[in-house]
Amino acid sequence: MGRENLAGEALILLRSRLCNPKFVFSPFSDSADSNYSKLKFILSSSVTEACNNSVLLLGPRGCGKNAVLELVIEDLLKEYPDMISVIKLNGLLHSDDNCAVKEIARQLCVEHQLLFSKMVSFDDNTQFMIGMLRECGLAHKTVMFVLDEFDLFAQGKQRLLYCLLDAMQSVTSQAVVIGVSCRLDADQLLEKRVRSRFSHRKLLFLPPSKEDLQRLIKHILVLPTDSSLPHDYVVEFNAKLLNILAKERFKQIIDTLSNSDSTCSNLLRFLFSAVCHMDLKSGFLLIENFKAALSSIQRQPKLEGLKDCSILELYMLVCMWRLEVREQDSYNFNSVMKEYRSIHDSFQTSDYYARNVCLRAFEHLLERELISFMDHRGHNQSTEFRPAKLLISYHELYQGLKSYRSCPAILQKLIDRER
Amino acid sequence: MAETPKKATRSLPKSKQSRHQNPTPSPSTPIPPTPQSLAPPRRSSRLISSPEPLPSPRSSRQALLISNPKTPKKSIDQSPSFAKNVKNPKRKAGTDSIDCALSPVSPDRYEVEKRKKCIEPKTRVSGKLKSEGKKKRVYYRKVVYDGGEFAVGDDVYVKRREEASSDEEDPEVEECKVCYKAGKAVMIECDDCLGGFHLKCLKPPLKEVPEGDWICGFCEARKSGKEVVFPKPPKGKKRVRTLREKLLSSDLWATHIESMWKEVNGSYWFRGRWYIIPEETAAGRQPHNLRRELYRANDFADIEMESILRHCYVMNPKEFGSAKNEGDDVFLCEYEYDIHWHSFKRLAEIDNDEEDGEEADSDEDWKSCQDSDSDAEEVEYEEENRNRLFTGLSKVSQLAANSRKGRTFGLQKIGMKRIPGLVRSHKQTELERAKATLLLATLPKSLPCRNKEVEEITSFIKGAICDDQCLGRCLYIHGVPGTGKTMSVLAVMRNLKSEVDAGRVKPYCFVEINGLKLASPDNIYRVIYEALSGHRVNSKKALQLLNERFSNGIKGGKGDNRPCILLIDELDLLVTRNQSVLYNILDWPTKPHSKLVVIGIANTMDLPEKLLPRISSRMGIQRLCFGPYNYQQLQEIISTRLKGIDAFEKQAIEFASRKVAAVSGDARRALEICRRAAELTDYRIKKSASLLNVASS
Repeated sequence: MGRENLAGEALILLRSRLCNPKFVFSPFSDSADSNYSKLKFILSSSVTEACNNSVLLLGPRGCGKNAVLELVIEDLLKEYPDMISVIKLNGLLHSDDNCAVKEIARQLCVEHQLLFSKMVSFDDNTQFMIGMLRECGLAHKTVMFVLDEFDLFAQGKQRLLYCLLDAMQSVTSQAVVIGVSCRLDADQLLEKRVRSRFSHRKLLFLPPSKEDLQRLIKHILVLPTDSSLPHDYVVEFNAKLLNILAKERFKQIIDTLSNSDSTCSNLLRFLFSAVCHMDLKSGFLLIENFKAALSSIQRQPKLEGLKDCSILELYMLVCMWRLEVREQDSYNFNSVMKEYRSIHDSFQTSDYYARNVCLRAFEHLLERELISFMDHRGHNQSTEFRPAKLLISYHELYQGLKSYRSCPAILQKLIDRER
Repeated sequence: MAETPKKATRSLPKSKQSRHQNPTPSPSTPIPPTPQSLAPPRRSSRLISSPEPLPSPRSSRQALLISNPKTPKKSIDQSPSFAKNVKNPKRKAGTDSIDCALSPVSPDRYEVEKRKKCIEPKTRVSGKLKSEGKKKRVYYRKVVYDGGEFAVGDDVYVKRREEASSDEEDPEVEECKVCYKAGKAVMIECDDCLGGFHLKCLKPPLKEVPEGDWICGFCEARKSGKEVVFPKPPKGKKRVRTLREKLLSSDLWATHIESMWKEVNGSYWFRGRWYIIPEETAAGRQPHNLRRELYRANDFADIEMESILRHCYVMNPKEFGSAKNEGDDVFLCEYEYDIHWHSFKRLAEIDNDEEDGEEADSDEDWKSCQDSDSDAEEVEYEEENRNRLFTGLSKVSQLAANSRKGRTFGLQKIGMKRIPGLVRSHKQTELERAKATLLLATLPKSLPCRNKEVEEITSFIKGAICDDQCLGRCLYIHGVPGTGKTMSVLAVMRNLKSEVDAGRVKPYCFVEINGLKLASPDNIYRVIYEALSGHRVNSKKALQLLNERFSNGIKGGKGDNRPCILLIDELDLLVTRNQSVLYNILDWPTKPHSKLVVIGIANTMDLPEKLLPRISSRMGIQRLCFGPYNYQQLQEIISTRLKGIDAFEKQAIEFASRKVAAVSGDARRALEICRRAAELTDYRIKKSASLLNVASS
C-alpha cells in the first residue's frame, strides 16, 4: 500500500471527524461542568420525574448550542425509546403565532401518525395542542419543543410562548420548552406574564478557552492507534503532529485565528481547510498547511485591494495615516498633498508627481473604498476640499506594504517609525 | 379475617332473603355476554363442576364473624404500597394449584370483535323499544339487588361463565398457607405471592408485622432457584380460593358500574366497564406490576345484575396506599388500557373529579332518551373504530386529528405500548420529592396567604348568584404576575362547586376564557356561546345570539336560566381600537335578565382608567388588588409545600423568599428558584455518585 493511499485514508478519517459534531463535542461531554451534562440532566429528569421545564440555551453563533442539544436529544431518544417526541420550530420561519401553532399541530400529528388538516383555525390548533400535551402526559410521553432563534418568538403578543408555558402549568402535561438564541438577553425580551411562567433555566455557551482549543485540536487531529491504518504510519503521523502543535509558530497561528473569531465552528472550518491542504505525497500534516489554511480562511479584501495599488497611491495612504497619527481629525486632499510634499522634501524621493496626477490617484482610492469622505454633505464641493478618512487600519496597511512587490524602502521606514 | 366485620354482615346475611323479594328470580343465572370469547382451553382444564351461583354457607360466615383480629397493615407512604392482607393459599404442589406464571393472553382483535358483537344487539333492542314508545327503561343510581346495594360508580365481581363460578364455597376468610386454618391469630401477607401466613407459623416466627415489604420464605427460596414444596392441606379439607384469586387467575371479571336500569321485562341490567388483569394485556405482566394491579379497559358491556357476585374495591394509588381494612377485595388501578391499540395511559385524577361533578349536576332520574342517544353514538363510534381496525384508514374515518370533529378519534392512539418500568419502580429521594412538590403544576392542598381575597371573591360570587336580579356585577382583579389571581378564583369556584353538590347553592355555569389564548378579540363571542350552548357558530352570529340571550332573558330550556359566571383572564388583550368587545361584554351584566357575572383579571392596575369612560364606569366599581407577596408570605407558601420533606434549610427558604420579594414578589419565581436549587444539589450528588462508581470500577 502506497503512502498516498495511506494519506488518503487518514484524510478521509480526519474529514469525517471534523464533520461529525458528536465526535467534536465528545471530550466535553463527560465532565460535570459541561453544558452537555447539565442539559442532559435537566431534560432527562423531566422525562423520568414527569415534570415540566423550560430552558434557554444562550451564546454567540457557532458555539455549538444546537450541536450539543442534538447530541443530548439523540442520547435521550436512545435511552428512553418511545417516550419522547421532539417538536422543532425556528423563529425565522414560525415567528407568526398562527403558523407556529399550525406547525406544532402538524409535527404532533406526524409524530403520532394522526391525520392533519391544514384548514383548521388557530383556536382549534391550540386546543389540539393542549389536548395532545395532556394525552402525552398521561401516557408518560415527554414533548420537547425546540425553539430555535428564540428571540424572534418574543415579538408581538407572545401568544405562542404564553400558550406553551401556560399549558405547562398543569399536572398532567409533561413538556420541555428549549429556547435557543444568540441574544444573551433573550429572557428579558419576554413579557412579564410570560416571564413569570418561564422557569429561568439558562445555559450559557461560550467560545472555548485557549487550553480547550488546544485540547480540541489534539482530540481531532491525532490519529487513533486502533484503526485500520498501519501502526508505524500512525505513530509517525502523530509524532510529527505533536511536534507541530508544540511549536511557537503554530500557537501564533491559532492566536491570530482566535483573535478574530474563537468559536468552535470557526476552528473546525480552519482545521478542515488545513487538512485539505495536506500533501498526499508526504502524507503528513505540515505547519505550512496550517499557514495556508489561515490565509485562506482569513481573506482580507483590503489587503488584496492594496496589492494592485500604484506606488503613488501607497504614498497617499501613508500620508493620510501620518496625518491621523498626528491626531489631525479632519483633512482633505489639500492637506494630504501638503504632507506628501513635505515627505518628498525631507527624504528626496524619486517618486514625485504633479498635483493633478495625485488627484487622480486620490479619486482612484475613493473608488476602491480604501478611503472615503467623512460625511455626505457638500456634494457640490469639488473633491479636493471635502474632508476624507482612511478605511484601512494600521495593521492592514502595514501588512499590505510588507507584502507589496516593490514597495519603496522609504515607505516601510516611515510606517515603522510612526508605530 | 381479612374482612372487616361490617362488610361481611352487610353483604352476606341478606342474600338469602332478598332473593325472594326479587320480582323475577331467574333460576338459571344469566351469563354476562362478553367473557365467552376468551381462550377456553386454559380455563376449561380448571373448571370444577358445581354450578351453584352464589354459594355462601352459613358456617363460613359464622367463622368470619367471630374471627376478625385487626389485619396487620403496613403503611408505606410511597403511593404504590401494598395493603397487607391475609390470604388463603394460592400456590401449592397439589393438582389444583394455579400456575402463577400465566402465559400472557392478549385480547386480540378477534376477541375485541366478538365482544362488540355481543353488545350491539342489546343497544339495538333498546332503540326499538324506545321507538315503540310503550315502556321505557328506568334508570337508577342505586339498586339493592340480591342483598347487596350497588350504586353507579361501584366496582363489582362478575361471573365469567356459568360453570366457572366453580368452588363449593365462596370464602371470605383466608387461611394460613402453612397450617390451613384461619383462626384469630394475626396474619401477614406476602408481597409476592399474596399468600397469608400466621405470624407464629413462620419459621422463625415473627413477633410483629415488620415495616416495609415482606416476602415469605417460599417466594424467597423460589427466587433463589430452589424447588419449593408448600405444605399440603390436611386430608379432607379442600383448598378454597377467594374471589380475588379467581379474578387474578382470570376466572372472574371485575367491572365498574357506569349506569343501571330496569328493562321493560323487569330484569335489572347495568352497563359495566371492564377491568383487565395484566396477564390479559398485549404486554403481559410486567415486572413492575403489583400483584393486585388491574387496568381499566375502554370496553363496555351491558350485563344483567344477576351475574354480579359482590363488591370489590378498585382504587387509585393514593387510596390504595392508605387502604386499611377493606379486606381481600382491594385492587389497584392506575392505568387505562386501550384494547384497540394495546396501549396504556395513566388515569387522570382530574378527569375523575370532572366526571363526578357532571354526575352531580344532572338529576337523579335520568331520562332514558338521553341515554339511548348516547348509546347510539357509542355504537356508531365503535363501528367507526372497527372500520379503522380492519380496513385500515378507510375513507369514512378520515378525520384530521386537529380539527375539532376528529379529535375523539385521534387522541385514542396515544399511549405507551408498555408502561416504562422506571416510572413505577422508582423510589423518590427527599430531593426529588421536594422538586415534585415545588413544581408550578402541582396544586397545593391549601392556598396560604390569600384568605382575605378568596373570601372577598366568594362573597362577591355568592352575592351575585343568590341574588335574583344580579345587575351589573363586574369584578376587576389586578396584580402583578404570579400573585395567585387566577388560582384564587379557580379555588373559589372549586369550593362553590362542592357547595352546589351539597345543595347549598343554586347551580350555575362557569365559563373560563383566557384573552391570550384567543386568536383575536372577536373570537371571544364564539367561545362564550359555545360554552353556554354547545353550538359552534361564527363570531358575528354568536354576538347576535348572545345579545338576544342576555337582553331578552331566556325562555324555558333546562339549565339555561342558571346564572353564568364569566372569568376572563388577561383582560387587557381584549382591548381593540374602538373597545367594542369589552363594552359588549361589560354591558350584558347591566341588562335586567342577563344573570351574568363577569370577573376580569389583568396585570395593570389602571386598566379601567385607560379605557373609554363608558367602559370604566361599568367595570371599575368593584376592584380587588392582589399585591405582591412579601417575604414572610413567600416563605409560608414554600414551607407549606415542603411540609414533611426534609430537604431545605430554613435559612435557604428565607433567603430565596427575601430575594424574590425584593424584586417582584412573584410566587412562581420563588418556587422555581427553590426547585432549581434542589435540582442543582441533586445534580451534584448524582454526578459525584457516578464519578465514585467509575472510580471504584
